[in-house]
Amino acid sequence: MRALSTESAKTDLPLEEGSGQTAAPRPFWIGGGLIAIGAIWMHGGLSLPQGARYAAVGPGLTPTLIGAVLVLLGVILIVQILRGERFEPQDSEDAAATSPMDKRAFFTALVAVFLPVGALPTLGLPLTAALAFTLVTRALGSTRLIANFVIGGVIGSVSWLLFTQLGLQLGRFFPPLGF
Amino acid sequence: METFELLLHGFSVALQPHNLFWAFIGSVLGTAIGVLPGIGPALTIALLLPVTITLAPTSAFIMFAGVLYGAMYGGSTTSILINTPGEAGSMMTALEGNKMARAGRGAAALATAAIGSFVAGTIATLCLTFAAPTIAELAFYLKPADYFAMTALAFCSIAVVMGRSRTRGFVSLFLGLALGVVGIDAMTGQPRLTFGTLQLLRGVELTVVLVSLFAVGELLYVASRYNKIPGVMQPIKGQKWFTREDLSRSWKPWLRGTAIGFPMGALPGSGSEIPTMLSYTLERKLSKRDDFGKGAIEGVAGPEAANNAAAAGILVPMLTLGLPTSATAAVLLAAFQNYGLQPGPFLFTSNPSLIWGLIASLYVGNLMLLVLNLPLVGLWVKLLSIPRPQLYAGILVFAMVGVWGVSGAWSDLLIMASVGVLGYVMRVYDFPIAPALIGLILGPMAENYLRTALAAGQGNPMVLVGTPVSATLIVLCVLIFALPPLIQRLRANA
Repeated sequence: MRALSTESAKTDLPLEEGSGQTAAPRPFWIGGGLIAIGAIWMHGGLSLPQGARYAAVGPGLTPTLIGAVLVLLGVILIVQILRGERFEPQDSEDAAATSPMDKRAFFTALVAVFLPVGALPTLGLPLTAALAFTLVTRALGSTRLIANFVIGGVIGSVSWLLFTQLGLQLGRFFPPLGF
Repeated sequence: METFELLLHGFSVALQPHNLFWAFIGSVLGTAIGVLPGIGPALTIALLLPVTITLAPTSAFIMFAGVLYGAMYGGSTTSILINTPGEAGSMMTALEGNKMARAGRGAAALATAAIGSFVAGTIATLCLTFAAPTIAELAFYLKPADYFAMTALAFCSIAVVMGRSRTRGFVSLFLGLALGVVGIDAMTGQPRLTFGTLQLLRGVELTVVLVSLFAVGELLYVASRYNKIPGVMQPIKGQKWFTREDLSRSWKPWLRGTAIGFPMGALPGSGSEIPTMLSYTLERKLSKRDDFGKGAIEGVAGPEAANNAAAAGILVPMLTLGLPTSATAAVLLAAFQNYGLQPGPFLFTSNPSLIWGLIASLYVGNLMLLVLNLPLVGLWVKLLSIPRPQLYAGILVFAMVGVWGVSGAWSDLLIMASVGVLGYVMRVYDFPIAPALIGLILGPMAENYLRTALAAGQGNPMVLVGTPVSATLIVLCVLIFALPPLIQRLRANA
């Protein structure tokens, strides 16, 4: 899915000063994160038998090895970053890779993405869909909040009715009112 | 001869009215998602999985095949008319296709793309029809060590070929492998990496990860860097569709594109991007005219044929060996597993109606898509008038329904959001996404083969290279690593 646009060559242009984006991102934290994940997997793997009497490989060996490789990859990535490895955002159809990050839009969309974790079990699909729909459209610049809320609610309700008919378990329609 | 009879049986399945209906639904959906941004065939099939569980497997797979082929047709429309490819496989089409559209030859570009897709799709399906049973027959002789070597080769080539750096390819692959070991160990029944939670005992669902990486990751990425300037649509009204000269310039690239696309699609890691790039480069080299880069029809005909042939190519290893070579194939494999079916040689003998019905439906679907795409192109283009904010919001709602419908567990929604953030980070720092999905679905299979092979060899690791097939494949794995630096060193010394 990389570089969907044919004009990806644009990303090679030097970034203008003051564009809000650093010219060469050095994401050491990704290397650190990989080492941390690798360590967790190694710990999880080592707490299980590494060998088995007849099968040579026990249940713990694979997670241990995967964890070890992730740690190694984390270290390699850090070394590469120190040597000046370039990290350019991927080009996508509706996103301009070279433009600076719009933090407000990102965090609004992030709320919409995490919202269902708490809202779906307690508020039901139609209301959660309406809220998430409104938040995403707001993040992408739409100001018609009420219209979007209604559209989201309608999509959520129709999906609930249709997919429940098809046999999916989507919980209750509107749990706050008990149905 | 036997293949021919089986294919006829397949047609009797595929031509049943309800299966024709699902093939039509799949083709329409596939074309629509090919045109629309933000949704690809892999994501669509993943979202359809929970819904289709009430359908008979044959009908479901006939619909999925329509989605897979339809996306390849639909992707070319936006590439040509607006210069924004809906699918990765349509990237090269935009280069010449959009130039043709700007020069008032958009209709001809659309026609060569659709007819080329049809020709390539049909020839490639014919190749699949005859290659698949032969490979399935050979696969009966393969041992666990051979299968392990095959998965290892798939891992290495996918991680090396996809993305800009090998390290990032492997990071993506190993993150997928790490998620794949979560849950109950199939061989000993012990819980692994579940952190004491009941919800993680059944493992991490591919559907959830795929929806998160593709839909949620893309949504967050677009929100953070939204490009509000819409592309300019080139008009096609009143243009000539296809002249005799267009045909004489197109037919050879169609055939060459098919010859490149089909075998490349069957190789792990090549997806639909590499065959289309190869086809474009080849046509450019072979062209005696100087209109390449200014709207050469060969540059549309070749890559479009290649991407459709590649779509048939990915089905060969998937159906005969159970080996997915792209993200879409990984989801198809998950779909088979959802029905309790394991693709591979045994499926050809245990469930011939499904396999041959699916293959026959590819012929039918291709014909449907040609009819759907050529005269109705104006209708598909209208889909692009859906405003982007509402489109992405709708995608999130469907992602939510898909994930919630799988299990009804809030933990899956939490995984959706968290892996979605991972998908965002992968886009920002250019990590390829497909290796993670292949790692997640192939990882547990590879581990199973490894442990079965070692158990049969009483723990002797030499059993892993004990057969000619496994030894050859392991050597290929080593070459994938060793060759590029070696060539680099030789060049430096020269």
